[in-house]
Order: sequence, then C-alpha cells, then structure tokens
Amino acid sequence: MSDTRQEPGAPEDELAHRFRAGDEPALREAYDRYGRAVLHLATSTLVNRSDAEDVTQATFVAAWLGRETFDPTKGSLVGWLLGIARRKVIDRLRSSAREHRVVETVRQLPDPAPSGSDPDTVVDRLVVADELARLPDEQRRMLELAFFDDLTHQQIAAVTGVPLGTVKSHIRRGMASLKRRWEVDGAAPGARPAGLSGAR
Amino acid sequence: MPHLEHDRLVFLALGESAADDSDRTHLDACPPCRDELDSLRHVAGLGAATQDLRDLPDPPEHLWQGITAEIRAAEQLPTLVPGRGQPVAAERADDPPPPAAAPAPRRARRARWSRYAVTAVAAAALAVVGTVAVLREEAPPEQAVTARATLVAYGSTPPAARGDARVLGNGELHLHVTNLPAVPGYYEVWLINPQNMEMFSVGVLGSGPDVLLPLPPNVDLAQYSVVDVSAEEFDNNTAHSGDSLLRGSLTG
Repeated sequence: MSDTRQEPGAPEDELAHRFRAGDEPALREAYDRYGRAVLHLATSTLVNRSDAEDVTQATFVAAWLGRETFDPTKGSLVGWLLGIARRKVIDRLRSSAREHRVVETVRQLPDPAPSGSDPDTVVDRLVVADELARLPDEQRRMLELAFFDDLTHQQIAAVTGVPLGTVKSHIRRGMASLKRRWEVDGAAPGARPAGLSGAR
Repeated sequence: MPHLEHDRLVFLALGESAADDSDRTHLDACPPCRDELDSLRHVAGLGAATQDLRDLPDPPEHLWQGITAEIRAAEQLPTLVPGRGQPVAAERADDPPPPAAAPAPRRARRARWSRYAVTAVAAAALAVVGTVAVLREEAPPEQAVTARATLVAYGSTPPAARGDARVLGNGELHLHVTNLPAVPGYYEVWLINPQNMEMFSVGVLGSGPDVLLPLPPNVDLAQYSVVDVSAEEFDNNTAHSGDSLLRGSLTG
C-alpha cells in the first residue's frame, strides 16, 4: 500500500484528461461521478431548489464549453467543477441579497439570517470527502473510525486487529493526503493558516 | 529546536490527547508547527463533517437533459458563423471563459458529439448546413428584409399562437412569436423544403418572444421556404419531433 494512487493512470486522472480532450462520454461520466457533489453544493447554499438545479446545470455546461481552460496539473476535475459551481452560487447569493435589500428597504423589515451554508465550507468538505473516498481502503477505514466513530488509535487497533504502529502510519498518511488535497482544491483560503504558502 | 513529530501533531489534531506542557512550549515558539497543527485540525474537522456526504442523492434526470440540450445548442455556434461575433450562448458560460473560436477542432468535436447524441439523419443534415442559434435579448437593428413569412398555428396548436419570420439582409432569420403553448421541452426552429419535406434545424427558440438565428450562407430559401417551429423533448434526438406548433411560407 502506498500513497502513489494519484499518478497518471488513476481513473480520475484518465477521466480528467478525456474530459479536457473533448471526449463526450467523459462529460456523462463526470456528471455521474460529480453531479451529486455539485448539486449538493448548490442545494446546501441556495434556498431555492430551482436556483440550485440551474446552477448545477450551468456548471456542467460552462465546464464543458470551457474545458480547454481546465488544467489537470493545477487540481482535480471535481475541484475545478466545484470552483465553477462555487462562483455561480456566490453570484446567485449576491443577486438575491441585492433583491432582498431592495425589499427590505421598502418594507423596513429586520434582516433575517441567511439560511444557506457557507459555500467555501461546503466545497472544502466535498473535496475532503472525495479525497477520503480515493484513499487506499485501509487508510480510509482507519480515518473513518477516527472521524465518524471518534475512536482513538488504540481503539482502532483493537477493533480492526491492525497493529497500533500500522494504524498510526495509515492515519498519518491519510491525513497528509487529505490536507494536501484541501490545499490544492479547497475553496477557503481564509481558513488556511497564514504560514502556509498553499498550493494554489 | 527540533519540531514536534508529525505523528504527534496528527495525534493532537485528532484530539487523541491534549497538548502537554512541552507540546505547548514548542507550539508557542514555533509558527510552522502551530500552522501545521491548525491545518490538520481544520482538515480533521472537515473529515468528520463528510459523514453526511457519503450518500448524496442523484440529480434529477431532467438536469442531464438540460445540460445536453444547452451544450448542443451552444457547441454548434462558432463552426458555422466564422467572422461573426461571439454568440451569446457561449457568453453565458461566463466562467471559465469560452474557448476562442478554433474552427478545425470544433468541427471535429461536433462530429463526435453528433455520433453521441444525434440521429444519423439529423447528423447528415447538420453536416451539410449546420445549426446556429444566437439568442439575443434586444430587438434586431434595422436591416433590409429579403423575405418574410407569417406563421400560424399548425395542427392542434391553439389558434392564438402565431409568429412572424423575417430574413434579414445580413443572412439572419428574425423570429417573433406570441402565445406559444407551454411545452415540457423546448422550441426548435426549422426550415423545410415542402417539395420533399427535407428539413434542417435553424436553432432553438428561448423563452423570449424574439430570436435572431443566423442562416447558413448558402441556404436556398426558394427550396427551403417553410419556417416551422416545433415542440421538442429533451430526448437526445435531434430529428424533428413531428409536433409542429407554427408554420408559414417565406415570400420574397
């Protein structure tokens, strides 16, 4: 088991290159693989369901028509798609905020709290979730036990029967992959500590 | 001063144990270790929040149909109108910027797309005359009118539906429609040769009442004299649905 799963030849990279080259079936594959993530970003940040579907549709259309601007060396396809969707979500939020301000001025109503999630946080979660799904099985399993079940390394070793040193090594490598991916594809530079140069 | 072991930072980030005095002393004095720990903590928080993302619902099927319809309409633009301005449909793909017009590769891409989503008959028609859809918000500027047609409701279409088609001196077809019945899919504009019912798609009609559709420069309007507006489904079939809403004959 190694950390080299993202070398050329990984299915994600192969899909990204076919997408960029304009191979139409790659659009459907990208949609099947990442449409859920894009729609989730839109539905969890926009109040209106039809706005969210519009953003999702517009994201894939813009991505396909602008596929030549996608640079696989700068990030993943899903990261790029989520970046497009994020900008479209923010545009919608801004325009609805403008409309709201007009309405507010007219009605002199107090400002209701915005109801959607922060788009950058949603993008970061989706990127980390994608990376988690790409990790080697054992690394993913150990991290899921730590994240979701809140188990300690010791407990993970006991539950899985994997030696403690191996558990630690899997978790360390897995965390390093998640962090690297977040730095490359994440959306929230503000959340990034100032001391990190950030691979953007 | 040696940095903290990376394992130790991961340990702290995952909350396995609290930082002890020596950890704290080092972290207070070492920005790189502190930043790394902050990053790892943030990533651990994101990781813990991914539990709800494992079984996201599939997008509804109509989204995919909308994507293919919009792409099909947009992708056929630049190949067929060399020298014209960038079409609005491509500008709607505002980010990333639309690729610059590149006739040869675009032709190749359209050919592949045709194989993917276009019926053979329609593909042949497209290859000959092509399809162009330029959607504009505003009314067209004054142009000489070289032919016009009054479009009336066809078949079972409510008689209130009607339209006017004008072929302008610059080779564009200006279409104005009113009272079109709502359809589940979209409207498509065709030119039909009434002698043999051969036809080709001129483009897609958006939600507005007016559309400007560039015609292929070599089109023979004496032959393809009938303007037809059809109701199309998002079914990946680019042939005419057979459901005509409006028709009219061009007269010069």
